[in-house]
Order: sequence, then C-alpha cells, then structure tokens
Amino acid sequence: MSETVNQTNPSFGKLIRKAVQSFGLPRLIIAGFLLLLFILAPFVNADLPMQITNTINRFSWNAVLVLAMVPMVHSGCGLNFGLPLGIVAGLLGGTLSIELGFRGPASFFISILIATPFALLFGGGYGWLLNRIKGGEMMIATYVGFSSVSFMCMMWLLLPYHSPNMVWGLSGKGLRTTISLEGYYDKALANFLQINIGKLSIPVGTLLFFAVLAFGMWAFLHTKTGTAMTAVGSNPTFARAAGINVDRIRLLSVIMSTWLGAVGILVYEQGFGFIQLYNAPFYMALPAVSAILIGGASVNKASIMNVIIGTFLFQGIVTMTPTVMNNMIHMDMSEVIRMIASNGMILYALTRKTEVRR
Amino acid sequence: MTDTKRKWLVRCAVIVFILALAALMMILGRGHTVYFDNKTLEYNGETYSAKQRINVDVTGAKTAKLSKRDRGMATWIGQNFTMDLEITENKGDEPVKKTVSLKLPYNMDGIVVNLPGLLADLPREAWMSEFVSMAAETEAEEAEDEIVTDDFGLGDF
Amino acid sequence: MSVKTVPAKGAGKSIGSFLAGNSVPIMFILICAVCIPVSGFSFTYLLNEIMSRLGRNAFLILSLLIPIMAGMGLNFGMTLGAMAGEIALIFVSDWQIWGIPGMVLAMIISVPFSVLLGLFCGKILNMAKGREMITSYIISFFINGVYQLIVLYMMGPIIPISHSSIKLPRGYGIRNTVSLLNMRQSLDNAVSFRIAGVKIPVITLLIIVCMCLLIIWFRRTKLGQDMRAVGQDMQVAKDAGIDVERTRIISIVISTVLAGLGMIIYLQNMGNLSTYSSHSQVGMFCIAALLVGGASVDKASIGNVFLGVILFHTMFIVAPNAGTKITGDSMIGEYFRVFVSYGVITVALVMYETKKRRAKAGNGRQLQLEQEAIK
Repeated sequence: MSETVNQTNPSFGKLIRKAVQSFGLPRLIIAGFLLLLFILAPFVNADLPMQITNTINRFSWNAVLVLAMVPMVHSGCGLNFGLPLGIVAGLLGGTLSIELGFRGPASFFISILIATPFALLFGGGYGWLLNRIKGGEMMIATYVGFSSVSFMCMMWLLLPYHSPNMVWGLSGKGLRTTISLEGYYDKALANFLQINIGKLSIPVGTLLFFAVLAFGMWAFLHTKTGTAMTAVGSNPTFARAAGINVDRIRLLSVIMSTWLGAVGILVYEQGFGFIQLYNAPFYMALPAVSAILIGGASVNKASIMNVIIGTFLFQGIVTMTPTVMNNMIHMDMSEVIRMIASNGMILYALTRKTEVRR
Repeated sequence: MTDTKRKWLVRCAVIVFILALAALMMILGRGHTVYFDNKTLEYNGETYSAKQRINVDVTGAKTAKLSKRDRGMATWIGQNFTMDLEITENKGDEPVKKTVSLKLPYNMDGIVVNLPGLLADLPREAWMSEFVSMAAETEAEEAEDEIVTDDFGLGDF
Repeated sequence: MSVKTVPAKGAGKSIGSFLAGNSVPIMFILICAVCIPVSGFSFTYLLNEIMSRLGRNAFLILSLLIPIMAGMGLNFGMTLGAMAGEIALIFVSDWQIWGIPGMVLAMIISVPFSVLLGLFCGKILNMAKGREMITSYIISFFINGVYQLIVLYMMGPIIPISHSSIKLPRGYGIRNTVSLLNMRQSLDNAVSFRIAGVKIPVITLLIIVCMCLLIIWFRRTKLGQDMRAVGQDMQVAKDAGIDVERTRIISIVISTVLAGLGMIIYLQNMGNLSTYSSHSQVGMFCIAALLVGGASVDKASIGNVFLGVILFHTMFIVAPNAGTKITGDSMIGEYFRVFVSYGVITVALVMYETKKRRAKAGNGRQLQLEQEAIK
C-alpha cells in the first residue's frame, strides 16, 4: 500500500499510511467497493431508493445475529463460529410456538419466550465446553455449530410435530425445509411503525427492537459484570488476580451470545417471512462473523458501533452487487464476490497479531 | 559452486522430463470416438454401394454388426486405429476378413468413417468426416441449470 | 498400529487407558456392529465397497499426515489441493485426453496449481500461528470463492473451454457435473483380479503402498526430522537453527500437492466430477476418517489412515440403509452419517485441546515446584 503513496509528500503519505493501518486495508477496500457501487448505481439504471430500502431491510433482519458476536468477543472466547447452536434454539422456539397454535405478531414474543430455555441450556453446555478448552475456542465452536445443525436435521424429521402448516403433506410427519410464516409472526416487527416515504420504506419496528437490544448490550457492558467481562477478555490473569471468576464470566458471555443468536434468527425470520430448517443454519455464522469484522472489530475487540457499521456495509454489498453487476456486465457474480470478500475479511482478522492470551 | 550448479541442472532436467512426459501423454491419451457407416457413398460420380453385412471388431471385441444403412461406434485412445472387419458383400457370400489401420486426425473428437468408401481405397477425404453432435444444438435451448454447491456433504464419498 | 503401547502399571489401569485412548475407534466398531446386521448388506458387497473406497480415499487421507507431523494440526486446507486437481481434470477432459495418460497429464497439470495454493496457504498459516486449523478452514472457503470465480465465470471467455458437454449452455462456466466416463476406473481396472468376488485394484493399491513407504522414508530425512522438531516445539527448533517458517510452508505445500494427486485418483474411481461440491465434501470426510482411525490433532500414523478408512466407510455404507430400516425414513441415515462425521471431528478437537491444556497446567505446576525448591 505504501508504494501507491506519493513520494514527494511524505507527511501526507505517512498520514494515509497510518489511517490505512488503523482502519485495515481489506476494510478500506470493502468500504470503497460499496461506495463505488452506490456511485455506479444511478449510471446503470439501478433503482436507488429501492436499493436503499433493501439494504435497510436486510440490515434490520441481520443486525441482531451480528450483535450476538459481541459478548463472546468481549470475554475473550473469540468469534462465535458456533452461532448455529443459538440459531437452532431459535428455530426450536419458532416451530414450537407454531405447533402450540400461537398466531399473529404475538407469536413472535412467544417464540422468544420458548426459545429462551433452550438457548440457556445449549449455551450453558456450550460455555462449559469452551471453558475446558480455552485457547482453541474458534475451531471447536465451528464444529459444535455444525454438529448441532446436523443433529437437528435428524430431529426435525423425528420430533413429533403435527401442525399441518409445518409437516410434509404426504407423510404427515417430519418438518418441511421451508415453512411460511404467513398468519404467524411474519413481519411482526417490520409492520410496526413502518414509515413509507415515496419508494423508501423503513421498518422502524425492527430497527427499534435492535436498538433496544443494542442499548441493553451497551448498558450491560458498563455494569460491573460487563466491565469484568471486558477485563477477562483483555487480560485473564489480571482478572483472576482481581478476584473475578473467569469461568463464570465466560459462561455468561457464551449464554448471552447463544440467546442473542436465538433471538437473531427469529428477527431474521419475521423479516424474511419463512423458517428455513435443515441445512439452512449451517453457514449462518460466517456472514455474521465477517460483518462484525468489516465493521472494525477484531478477534478480541468489538463494540456496538462495529456491529452497526459492519452489518450496514456487509448487507449493502449483498444487496447492491447483484443489481449493479447484472446491469453492468449481465453476469451475476455477487455470490462469488460475497464469498471472497467475507472470507477474506475473516482471514485478515485471524492473521492479525493479537496479544498472547492466558 | 559446482554443487549449486549441479542442483540446478538436476532441477532443469526434472522439469524438462516432466514436460516431455506431459507432451507424450497428450499424444498417447487423446481419445476419439469412431463412427462407422455401412452406407452407399457417391464420390466423383461413382457409386460405392453398401455391403450386405459388416462385422466390426475393435480391440478384439465384437463392436458392431452393421447391416445396410447402419452406424456403429467405438472409442479409441491414440491415433493409430486398427479394426478387424468381416465383410459379407452380397447375400449368401462367404464373409471376407480384413484388418484395416487408419491414422485418426488429432484434432477431431468424433470421426465418421464410411466403410464402403474406405474398402474401395478412395482418398481420405471421401470417407472420413467429422462427427457433428446434434445434441450440442438442442442443449442450447435447455433450461439454464442451477449451480449446486453442496457444502453440507450429503453426497456419496 | 492403532494399538498404542500402554505403560504396564497393572492390568486394570492399562485396559482403562487403552479404552480412553482409543475411544473413537471403539465407538465406531460398536456403531458398525449394530448397523451391519440391520442394513442387510451381504458380506461380499460390503468388502467390495470397502476395497473400492480404500483405493479411492487412502491417498487423499495420507496427504493429511505431513502437516500433523509439523504440528500444524488437521490441514483443512487440503481442499485447496482438491480444487487444483479438479481444475486439472476439467482441462484434461476438455482436451479429450482419456484413460491413464489423461490421469497422468492431470496430475502433472495439478502440481503447479497445488504448489501455488500451498505456498499461499503456508504463508497465511505462518501469520496465524496457534490457530492454524480455523485459519486453514477459512482459507478453504476463501479459495473456494476464487475457484468458483475461475470455474464459473472465467472458463469460457478467458480460459478456453471448447466442449459444450462440460460448458454451461449460457456460454461461460462449467456444468455441475463433468463426466469422466473415459477415465473412469482406468487405473483401478488396469490390473485387477477378484478374490472371492472382491475386486482388487492392484495398481491403485500399489501407488498407495508406495506413498506410505515414501512417507516413512520422508520421516527419516533431514527435512522430516526438522518438521518433527518444529511440531514438538517451534522455539526449540528455531534455536537449533531450523528455518521454522520455511519448514512449515514446505509441509503445507507437500500436503496440498498430495491432496491434488489424491483427488485425481479419487475422481477417476467415481467417474464424474461434481464441479462445485466434490472438494468441500472431501475435506470434511477425509479428516473425519483419519480421526475415526484413532488419530489425534497432533499424532497420526499410517495405521490410523487404513483403520479409519475401513471403519468410517463401513459406517458410511451401512448408515443410510440401517437408518431407513430403523426409522422408516431414508434421509435419517444420510443425516446421521453427516452428524457422525462432524461429531467425530468435534470430539477429537475437544480431546486434543483438553489434553494440551492439562499438559500445560502440569508443566506450570512442575515449574512452580522447581521454583519453590530453589527457594
């Protein structure tokens, strides 16, 4: 990157170099790429208000899932690649609320209520496991997520669900791969206080819901337990010396992450309108992980601001690339670009030097 | 000094050897599909009529039994193609055995050989033509197939 | 081979530690023992399948051994080699080179790709010491994106592909499956015979045996010794004058190249190439199979490879049928074997990390005792 800097202006060059270093080259590329997309959009006849609406909508669906990364990063458990575990808890909540016959927007909150004990249980077990293998969290988290998803694949077929809206019509048992939420909690939050300005429509309800959770997280991180969590993450030896029960704090952070994952998938579903089962939760951790990293987080540092910026940038690229690309070169390369960009971002974060822990 | 020189020499030799091996494989392994027609051929105003029956053996196995206007096929690796023919000229005749070798052109995937023309020792372009697949054109209308990326691993292994 | 020498401290304890040390293979033997009778497959059929799978998978799994030796854990980046092999096979089938010459050519073409990818992977892993596995795992995703960019968009307009049988009808990109019919089992069938109805692919097995011998020989070379030293302790190896970074890169490059060659052997047996999914499955199942054979993240032998292939694939063959018979749903067995693959990897990783942590704690305690003794 230093080669591109003008040699005749060293102080300016130094400034840029410093900015790039603190911001991170990949992050800069991604932000620049999004900016380019927004600039190009009018030229290729893309409907800009529509694009912005989509971006905001997708932001509102995904933000809570990204927020779920924060507690574990804070307590030093690394990026929560085991997010699918939380998602599974959320899916259990959602399907059970339908099975029990709850309808309408209220069923959204019932779903959260039902998902909570599962999230606490799964999160507890997961946290206990992660406490036993400090230092290798991320790899094991990935595989805990995968194992739970593939285990639930069997369970979706075997559990005695009966609601005709969810099971396969022919055999009368086994859940379908996609379940429509119409009549249940479809758009439960999005339709609340929705604002329409011309073509622009903003799902204020969902954004508010996220804001409440994000504020809650922010407030929590400033309580005594919250600061203890940050202390555990940044220097466990010091934290232990200060009389903090490191394992308990880590367990708490994992449970919080898992619960947020469960709530996050329910928020996602109410916006998307469908429950996706079986393989669907499989790779849901990767977009969330890369989103928070794009927002400026690192393996052991993350703030609410990182969540907001990251989700916006990531979802902006996800919504903008297909249309702009399609209009420009008539090739839909968005999927591939997303793969390279998001995994490149995770790779970048993993190769950064972080202070030696434990 | 000489040691590093020798090291580089050995490396170069290995690379050259591998490249040569690759080139050899490209020649040896080129596969062709040979189609043989037992059809009447018109060439320079003369007619070479189809035989009553031709049995074609490629690599020792019965490959095709061709009546009039039949087409048979065989796959072949390499350019030196050999086949054994058993020709029955007219009904009731004793079959005549004949071994035919031909050079297959390297850049043709599918090669159509007209047997009556070949047996009459006509020039090459009279009995050899490139096979053009009809499938290629129909496939263009085929619906765009969805790209399947199964990362979950539900396939056989 | 899988039987580890146990300290003779009394029979009861040694049996207990034997069970603990080999819990994964034992669990698998139990699963197989239950599933084989339920599935209703004949013994000959099972043996035939296992032999065929041994031939096609053993080489791929052998490629995992060298990074484990160098202390870099399970090389999830072996998918990179698999992708290199696939690209080579796409070219070869477009050029219509068939049979064994086609395989040899594909192997030659795959090597430069594998070396490049291996260098890239090794460089990145050197920047992420201590979390090699998750990094190599993400690298495999990243390169999968690049692979799709090349195969799905560049092949056709930029990289010439002429045959419509492998090109998508839209004019660019490769189809979901590329048929390798003209190469199918050419290596396996080159020299083969049957013993009691079981087909023995002699050449394939010979290649695998040669590879095993090569690995045994490699362990004794200077480079192999260096790798083991690096695997034991990077700092000590560095002090001993070993170029740690270079050694680690070489181990990954070797592994990637072997994975590429292995992938070609694997696909010639399968007879067709699933352009966008073969490689990702291969990575997961190979690692699972190795672990089932009793290997761990820091220790794997050739014996583990063979035991793993046999046990894992027996489960793999019988699970769908057994699942259908038990639950009446054909998908259960399929999901079950996926679950088991992931579960095995999870258990192995957890066991490795707990062991590492316990060892560290033990070291710490010893250090403390020594310090107290000095006082």
